[in-house]
Amino acid sequence: MSAVNDMNQAQAVESVLLEAVNLALHYEMEHDESVVLLGEDVGTNGGVFRATSGLKEKFGFKRVMDTPLAEALISGMAVGMATQGLKPIAEIQFMGFIFPAFEHLFCHAARMRNRTRGRMSCPMVLRAPYGGGIHAPEHHSESTEALIAHTPGIRVVIPSSPARAYGLLLAAIRDPDPVVFLEPKRIYRGSKQTINNNGQALPLDTCFTLRQGTDVTLISWGACIADTLEAADKLAEKGVSAEVIDVATIKPLDMRTMLTSVVNTGRCVIVHEAARSFGVGAEIAAQISEKCFLNLLAPVQRVTGFDTHMPYFKNEHYYLPNSEDIVAAVDKCFREA
Amino acid sequence: MKALKHPQISEQGHSHLMDFSLQKIQFLDADGNWLTARPDFASDEWLVQSYKNMVRTRVFDSKAIALQRTGQMGTYPSSLGQEAFGVAIGMSLQKDDVFAPYYRDHAAHLLRGHKMSDLLLYWGGDERGSSKGPKQDFPVCVPIATQITHAAGAAAALKIKNQDQLAVVTIGDGGTSKGDFFEALNVAGAWQLPMVVLVNNNQYAISVPRDIQCGAPTLAQKAIGAGIHGVQVDGNDVLAVYQAMLEARQRAQQHKGATLIEAMSYRLCDHTTADDASRYRANEEVKEAWKNEPIKRLQSALVNLNLWDSEQEQAWQTQCSDEVDKAVEEYLKTEKDTPESMFDHLYEDWPEVMNEQLDLLADKLSRQQTH
Amino acid sequence: MKYFKLPDLGEGLSEAEIVEWHVKVGDTVKEDQLMVSVETAKAIVEVPSPQSGVICTLFAEPGDVVHIGEPLVEYEGEQDDSGTVVGDLSLSAKQESKDDFIVGSAHSQNNQSVIKATPSVRALAKRLEVDLSHIKPSGEDGRITTNDVEKAARLNFDKGQSESLKGVRKVMAKNMAASHAQVVPVTLHDDADVHGWFTKGNPTQDITMRLVHAIKQACVAEPSMNVWFDGEHLTRRLLTQIDLGIAVDTEQGLFVPVLRDIGQRSLDNLREGLNALRGAVKSRKIPPQEMQGATITLSNFGTLAGKYANPVVLPPQVTIVGAGGIRDEVVAFQGQAVVHPILPLSVTFDHRAVTGGEAARFLSVMLEDLTKASVEN
Repeated sequence: MSAVNDMNQAQAVESVLLEAVNLALHYEMEHDESVVLLGEDVGTNGGVFRATSGLKEKFGFKRVMDTPLAEALISGMAVGMATQGLKPIAEIQFMGFIFPAFEHLFCHAARMRNRTRGRMSCPMVLRAPYGGGIHAPEHHSESTEALIAHTPGIRVVIPSSPARAYGLLLAAIRDPDPVVFLEPKRIYRGSKQTINNNGQALPLDTCFTLRQGTDVTLISWGACIADTLEAADKLAEKGVSAEVIDVATIKPLDMRTMLTSVVNTGRCVIVHEAARSFGVGAEIAAQISEKCFLNLLAPVQRVTGFDTHMPYFKNEHYYLPNSEDIVAAVDKCFREA
Repeated sequence: MKALKHPQISEQGHSHLMDFSLQKIQFLDADGNWLTARPDFASDEWLVQSYKNMVRTRVFDSKAIALQRTGQMGTYPSSLGQEAFGVAIGMSLQKDDVFAPYYRDHAAHLLRGHKMSDLLLYWGGDERGSSKGPKQDFPVCVPIATQITHAAGAAAALKIKNQDQLAVVTIGDGGTSKGDFFEALNVAGAWQLPMVVLVNNNQYAISVPRDIQCGAPTLAQKAIGAGIHGVQVDGNDVLAVYQAMLEARQRAQQHKGATLIEAMSYRLCDHTTADDASRYRANEEVKEAWKNEPIKRLQSALVNLNLWDSEQEQAWQTQCSDEVDKAVEEYLKTEKDTPESMFDHLYEDWPEVMNEQLDLLADKLSRQQTH
Repeated sequence: MKYFKLPDLGEGLSEAEIVEWHVKVGDTVKEDQLMVSVETAKAIVEVPSPQSGVICTLFAEPGDVVHIGEPLVEYEGEQDDSGTVVGDLSLSAKQESKDDFIVGSAHSQNNQSVIKATPSVRALAKRLEVDLSHIKPSGEDGRITTNDVEKAARLNFDKGQSESLKGVRKVMAKNMAASHAQVVPVTLHDDADVHGWFTKGNPTQDITMRLVHAIKQACVAEPSMNVWFDGEHLTRRLLTQIDLGIAVDTEQGLFVPVLRDIGQRSLDNLREGLNALRGAVKSRKIPPQEMQGATITLSNFGTLAGKYANPVVLPPQVTIVGAGGIRDEVVAFQGQAVVHPILPLSVTFDHRAVTGGEAARFLSVMLEDLTKASVEN
């Protein structure tokens, strides 16, 4: 515990994604009294993944609340708190358990500003670990960001690195509208990066270009970014220069960055873990086809999970996209050119 | 509930409306001494069998933890210290009852006829582990408390079909905070459903202790709000839980509706094998709780009745170990299911449009083979 | 791991009594070292340490009963934390630890070289062997239409394939266009009477070197013709050194190697230098530096054909001299009509930077020098 506190005093901190989330929460709770946390096991236990570690000790039980076991309650209370001048950050323990929270997200958080014509707003953040790949029991590996992104009035943000987790979470907390912040648990404890703990937020509603390239645009987010970058390396060995774009804010999409890239490369592969049909990739592909049709040298490809439930973990790796799948999709782009 | 016939009205306009009361059931104290006469159902055979069932559960449970620790099985929620709860349920379930478990009901599952190796398969990440068992029973339920509303539906179906059986459903203390729990209890009361809800109050919902989970002094009294019968039992006394089940069945069969049973117990283990409870609870508390554990007290009672001795203990331990070892062998031998199986059982009929995805899987597999 | 808890002792035993500790607080223990003896209902069991470490707490005394899962000892150091309640986070994907990223797009928004065409048009172009980058799009949003492709194909068929310019030809096309867009060219034409070169006893004149010499003299007399001019910032750099670009014609196109510092070198030396440059151009081994940095240029097209010209000034230079072919002409000389060899001369200058007077003076010095029978080396 003391190591955590020392960490939070320091300026430049080596952090994995999970620790970056914790850093951002510490920073913002320190600097903004209206920020409060609520969720199951977030206080004494510091969260089942330790994302909220050290916060109850520092800020007390009135700002870090261990709630009864009830997701509808958590999101409903967050709506209530947010309209009354607080900035609640609610945690849903796993995305698989977010569904009772949907009613308040879609019927209320997403609409509060709109139906009161701006009189009331809902500056809340709903955080949830999401995605598969840690050999968890069923229901603990869900990737249903498309369901949320389909609803107007909500932002959906997914970081793919410690630095972006830090900056985007700060932005999400400061944003005056509801944000669902999905943390890819498969990379919670990936590599460490140096985070400058200066409270600097990254912009929402924009993609990040992680690699520049000229031959194909690879679009992804979350844990799949690791596989996408690996694929870009493999492609470079074959002489194919791939541009890698991290969407980061799933809703609203920064189509301008993605379209500019595809205009320049003429080829596009979208990678996501979630099921294929009706996924976020489908929306991006539709927009690219609509607006870059004249620049495309090959159809837009999608590398995704299947239209099945995430299998129990013995067969998990047959479901999750990997870098070989991505390289194969890029090969297809060139064959059809 | 008792309403007085001649209410007196106070200066502030108040008059007494009604009283509520709750009862508790217990037969044996923590040391195995009888607090009252032996109930009729507690024959010598019954006592010995219930004891053996609890021991068998614990042997299986220990082995399951060991398998997880050695990387041969996934995350597993132990039932250490909560064997009486499940054994009593398992022994009282009838063939055509509908059982809707949560995820810590290994004791009841074993008595319901599930193979040990199937339980291991499920926690080992293989869907085939939840494919067996009585066809009307629900599989393990992970989304908390949703099994209660399912049980209410099952109970309604039983009632509609004029069947005599019960829908029996379990839940933890944490789960009683969920909307599903209240909604299901409520309809059970409104429709007089033949449902029995058993709460395994083991005092913890991961790290959240019982006293901040709910402000009421008991969970059993949530029944009152739903208009159904509620009772608290000593959850570490297998006879108490069994008695409550008998009464619940009688109640339902007499068309007097549902029952909520709060079984008081203690989670002597971590929430799951990935959890570490020492982060949030003091060891002294756990030490104290061991004094109340279910197996020790029944063993004392049996020994006092000359129904059990160390030789029998030894023999039974060995028999259970052998059974578990065989089950582990079978589990470890089981080849994991094919990748294509992930497409099975999505719908009854196979939608043709999905053929394309089978092709995608075939491509993916051919790439994995070459690497 | 910080705490070591009493492990499952097997045989359904759930508790054990501490008999004797073999270690004490502060001891350093090795993995597998015997730590404590405990007594179960069956036997006395020796419990080894699962790891190496330093003991900082013992949780029970001899005679105490400990249950499985309860802590026995605490080691110094940080608690091992699985950091989850399900699954295994150590299966985390490897990530890059370096994380350079650009917010938004890496490209400029308006890339003019992008070709817009529908997939069917692209496929048609491929079939008809038409290079899309050669076509001027006629579609209103800048797209290449089917019609465009078909016209291009017909043109290729009737008139021959269009080929993309490469190398020096491409550079020339770009440079000339750029010059035309910027420079304000004015040309002065005149003739040099070079009959003096052919007097008896005079060695044969190296025509190119005579031109080089004349340019040198003219630059010295009129330095404003040997400058670099920046039309955008309106600056003029007076250059002390004269580096003369000499146009060389080859199959591949026009090369302009640079004879450095003609003001300080002998004509013999310059001739050697020019030959070397010519050789390098011919063998296509000339490095790019040798063609950069000219301060004034000479185009001696007269070696092939032509009299006068308006050669193109190459910015940042302001002057280019064009020399036509020496030919016999009937001229008026000392009141008589005679036949003399005449060298036609053209000087084009950039009137943004140079005045007519400066150019005229430059030209007159050139003419005077060229008229001499011979000059010093």
